Amino acid sequence: MGLATEGTNASRPRAGDVCRKDVPTCRLGERMGEVRDGVRAAGWDACVVTNDERVVFGLLRSAELAGADASATAEQAMRPGPSTYRPFVGIEEMAEVMLEHNLANCPITTSDGRLVGLLVKEDAARVALELHEREHHHEEDQP
Amino acid sequence: MTGAKVELSCKDCDKGIESCACCDEEDCGSAICFECLVTELGQSLAQPHDHGG
Repeated sequence: MGLATEGTNASRPRAGDVCRKDVPTCRLGERMGEVRDGVRAAGWDACVVTNDERVVFGLLRSAELAGADASATAEQAMRPGPSTYRPFVGIEEMAEVMLEHNLANCPITTSDGRLVGLLVKEDAARVALELHEREHHHEEDQP
Repeated sequence: MTGAKVELSCKDCDKGIESCACCDEEDCGSAICFECLVTELGQSLAQPHDHGG
């Protein structure tokens, strides 16, 4: 556990605040047919492959979920070792790179690789825009 | 020659890389190396140790 965030940027939203903690997860050996059904039933189009300690091994985005054979394992279908991001990264920076690289979502993890949640591009962009508008209005209100 | 791998270089430091550190794609138009991505996102900020340093 780290120290409390302090300073003028303390109230700015960060990746760890905006990411969705309820993202579905599965294990390496689970069959894609069952994974796909569970993920879709939960209203998601992505799933993070982890171990029991929530350490991230891979990512199943919509393409992997849709394209995998039902009998394949998650390990066979996943994108292994996806790029992960730390919870303290500012949401504006995250929104910028996600839009630039057209990343639909990306895992947010602790420095030892444990899943915090999945940051969805639309969420990051919306919160960054709200922040920008709030600060813009605040500047206009200044005498 | 067919099937030749596209040479990627970091958009910031021009270093040759195999895939984009951000999106993991080998044909990314804004490819960036891990070091530059870390710098861009401020992920290099020193984090306090669990035991308080």
